[in-house]
Amino acid sequence: MTVTWVPVISVDVMGAVLMIVFSVLSVRHAWRLNRKDPDNLVWTYLLWVAFCLAGFAISRSAGHILKQVILVSGLDPVWENVRPVSGSLNTMLLIVVSSVTLFFNRAWHIYREIFTERKALQETQAELISLNQTLENRVEERSEALLKHEKQMAQTDRLASIGQLSSGIAHEINNPLGVIQGYTQLLLRGEKPESQKHQDLQVILKHARSCKAIVEDLLNFARRSAPEKAEVNIHDVIKDVLVFIQRRAKMEKVQIETHFDDRVIPMSMDEKKIKQVLVNLLMNARHAVGEDGRIVISTRYDVEARRLRVTVADNGYGIDEKNLDRIFDPFFTTKPTGEGTGLGLAVSYGIIKNHGGEIQVSSDPGKGSVFTLILPVTAAKDL
Amino acid sequence: MTLRANIGFISLAGALLLLLAIPHPAMAIQPHGDPEGIVVHQFSHIFFIFSMAILMYWLRSRQLSLQPGWREIKYAALFLSLWSVMAFIAHMLDEQLGWIVTRRIDTWTMQVDSTRGGAGLEWVYYIAKLDHLLCVPGLFFLYRGLTVLSSQKDAVRDMDREVP
Repeated sequence: MTVTWVPVISVDVMGAVLMIVFSVLSVRHAWRLNRKDPDNLVWTYLLWVAFCLAGFAISRSAGHILKQVILVSGLDPVWENVRPVSGSLNTMLLIVVSSVTLFFNRAWHIYREIFTERKALQETQAELISLNQTLENRVEERSEALLKHEKQMAQTDRLASIGQLSSGIAHEINNPLGVIQGYTQLLLRGEKPESQKHQDLQVILKHARSCKAIVEDLLNFARRSAPEKAEVNIHDVIKDVLVFIQRRAKMEKVQIETHFDDRVIPMSMDEKKIKQVLVNLLMNARHAVGEDGRIVISTRYDVEARRLRVTVADNGYGIDEKNLDRIFDPFFTTKPTGEGTGLGLAVSYGIIKNHGGEIQVSSDPGKGSVFTLILPVTAAKDL
Repeated sequence: MTLRANIGFISLAGALLLLLAIPHPAMAIQPHGDPEGIVVHQFSHIFFIFSMAILMYWLRSRQLSLQPGWREIKYAALFLSLWSVMAFIAHMLDEQLGWIVTRRIDTWTMQVDSTRGGAGLEWVYYIAKLDHLLCVPGLFFLYRGLTVLSSQKDAVRDMDREVP
């Protein structure tokens, strides 16, 4: 067939020019990209691809334009001489472009490895800087924690010794007190109620009973009496204690808040004794806050550790640091004479220890105190 | 030297002596005649198609082809590989197989004849000669892809995010 060759020549020449333009522009943008991040191997790879394609495009396009110019000028023999050189150059550059293109995967792989290692290095460096900056604080924190732990250990040892001593004394006193109480009651039977002797014997009996109560407290502190455990809900226990306290202790103006953890399950404990602990803590808090303070009782159940934390916090006058180590000692009190025996916290300590738990205190003088009971959560069937 | 080594040495020496005894022309340099140029050129087109296909596969498997910039580069690879197929066909028809014979009538008119395949093959050849219609868009997409990548504000950070 005979066809016009105008479209072929036009597309060839215009296409060749456009190929040169686009390939040069591509090199320009790849260059910019590479300059933005010279360490990025993928950008370097793209620059190489752009370079090779530009080389191929220029060689090929120059050849095509030259061919059309020569043929249109009627210099066909000249083109026959140029053709092998131009064709060979194009072949060579096409192979170079293809070879460079095949390096993409390798470039990407190397870049990924460099990136991963760089990231790990940056993280390590940041961690080192952070460690360096916070080293002093960390050492201080650790030292404080160690000191606190040592103090706790010393306090536990001291309280154990006191407990042993108290237990011995309480046992020795308990029997004579029983005898005094028994004989007083016998004597009272033979006396007329209006007589002076009857009244004197009543006084003896009253004080003997007080002594008995103190002895019982000492035994509680020394953990000589085993708890009578049953499965109870701590929230019910706290509610009962709050009703009792609010009725007894003129707490109308004291703001009491409770924050209960819904995940708390019924647990095995001596309800009476735990109530005694809570009453002691709440009475102390009530005393500390005065008439219009704020007391917050909260529970939190650590499911994994199976531990229950009961916190009694107040915004009262707090406890002086020098007294913090001694507040669980029997007969230690900061209250005026006659207002407290100093056995409340000692007894509470003994009860909680007897439940396999811990009692902790922290205080900020002038701002308030926080007592925390940590109890192991065991159901009755687990015992 | 062991007996086995002695036998091996004697056999090798004997074979070399035999070669010297029966000489032939050496033909040390192989001539590269006329059709070799077009064969090498066709190989280069196949290699180019292969490398572009591999590039497209890698861009796709790394999900880079979903992102602006890389997507255009994938299109560039597609157009350039199609161009290579077209050029390969044109070279095969006129230079390798000789199924198409062209003759210039004047500057702007050509006579295109097919030795087999008829007018259909002549038209295929004519269209294949317009191969710039594929390679120009290919380079345009490469230019567009690089423009998008280099104009991204955080091209480097985006790149880092892509690393699995």
